[in-house]
Amino acid sequence: MSWDSFIWFALGAVLLWAAGAVFAWKDRKPLVYACTLAGIAVFFAFILGMWISLERPPLRTMGETRLWYSFFLPVAGIIVYSRWRYKWILSFSTLLSFVFICVNLLKPGIHSKSMMPALQSPWFAPHVIVYMFSYALLGAATIMAVFMLIRKRASASEMNLTDNLVYVGLAFLTFGMLFGALWAKEAWGTYWAWDPKETWAAATWLCYLVYLHLRKAKPGEWQSACILLLVSFVCLQICWWGINYLPSAQGLSIHTYNVK
Amino acid sequence: MWVKPWNMKEGFLIGGGLLFTGLLLQVAIGPIRWELFAWPVNLIVLILLLAAVGVMFAFRRCVYAFEWMMHAGAAVPCLVYVATLTILMGLLPQVRTGGMPWLSQMLRFWPFVLIWTWMMIISALAALNHIFRWKVKEIPFILNHLGVVVAIVAATLGNADIQSLQMTVFTGEPEWRAVDDDGALQEPGLAIELHRFTMEEYADGTPKRFASDISVYTEDGKTVQGTVEVNKPLKVNGWKIYQYGYDVRMGPESTYSVFQLVRDPWIFWVYLGIYMMIAGALCLMLFMAPKPVKV
Repeated sequence: MSWDSFIWFALGAVLLWAAGAVFAWKDRKPLVYACTLAGIAVFFAFILGMWISLERPPLRTMGETRLWYSFFLPVAGIIVYSRWRYKWILSFSTLLSFVFICVNLLKPGIHSKSMMPALQSPWFAPHVIVYMFSYALLGAATIMAVFMLIRKRASASEMNLTDNLVYVGLAFLTFGMLFGALWAKEAWGTYWAWDPKETWAAATWLCYLVYLHLRKAKPGEWQSACILLLVSFVCLQICWWGINYLPSAQGLSIHTYNVK
Repeated sequence: MWVKPWNMKEGFLIGGGLLFTGLLLQVAIGPIRWELFAWPVNLIVLILLLAAVGVMFAFRRCVYAFEWMMHAGAAVPCLVYVATLTILMGLLPQVRTGGMPWLSQMLRFWPFVLIWTWMMIISALAALNHIFRWKVKEIPFILNHLGVVVAIVAATLGNADIQSLQMTVFTGEPEWRAVDDDGALQEPGLAIELHRFTMEEYADGTPKRFASDISVYTEDGKTVQGTVEVNKPLKVNGWKIYQYGYDVRMGPESTYSVFQLVRDPWIFWVYLGIYMMIAGALCLMLFMAPKPVKV
């Protein structure tokens, strides 16, 4: 499988996801599941093909992590749909996934087979995959927050959904961070070094902890909670890719595998 | 404000007071020197910390502030301060010396350390509170709050006890001397003999794998044979031996191998905390998330 065939798999997946989203509006539940899951299968087939042909997990470059993100958004979407029956959630997850697919088509990464020895570890795949799944869930929570802030109204069930997305997203964020720590001890001899990427991972994690405790302390203040989700998501983006443009991290991070 | 029940406002004020106290300390005695916390000072600090938490918990019914510290209303302001300072740390380049005054050495900045300590204390109190009203359904809360305290306190107090040395070993010449971060010669109490250094490269010449076949001889007469490579350290007598480097100009023909030797006496507690947090995160999504409401 080569990167050139990405456009065909992506096209197939997006069309299936879009069909699923349309059927969600029309309340055709079996078709919603069939189309969305088929799209997910098509997209995963491409990831698997890349994995086999690269002879390493496709998780090293930014483009490859975006690939997983585009994959996990509809996964998160269908989970939310199955539990809350929101008609619009699949439209959003499809649209967002489409945006990331376009970024990948316009700005393809270098997909060489080489993978530096530091990345050759059983921790590599779980560390990145749980992070990408967490980013997808927290991205969905951010969409909820934007939606409610614009509408200036939040129902109990909407906040319930947002809370759930954050609880599960934060759990996966914690897995990602701690798997990283356990891996770092094996690779670098230290489990936490306050490398810029680690500092931002901690900041992101702490921001979501504020959200969790704020919801307990002041359940009525949904607006502050939603604004907090926006701030947290900005931190998350800085941690994921913003760090590459941050003067404070230039040349200091050992978490750079994109550049030669 | 200061009318019972306290909530977040009081917390923001207390946190502000802590930051101010930290600033005064920073001016008065300068940045924190973590190397002073080496054994047994860290043990003494730990005992004092535990005693303080114990006393606060015992007197929670007498002193309202201690009672309040266990609640989410106290956690929010504390976490806001901790998150803000951590974001600041991420925005400003962190360097060993120089840079911005105070903020470029955030880990040695008193307000940063005091507010993290505050977080550890309230998290420990919250954990104790749930331990003492024991029920099975309290386990997730306890794992999360105690886990974070065990991991961070052990990592912070144990930091000064970590030994990290570099040893350069030439093929066939057993070596027992190593250098620390300051370049001072140290003897870790074990000798390493390099039998063979191997290296594989990708088609584009980037390294694919490098490894060292070694024998390790310990002071107590043990001999351990093994292969050390990146991501696969060797454990001998409390030391972890890591493949660190080689002669990059010679590549596969390198006649020496550089090892990093790390010993961390507190690692058990850090790992215990980390595993508690992993279990806690699992519980967070399985049991603690609010039950879904269907529309």
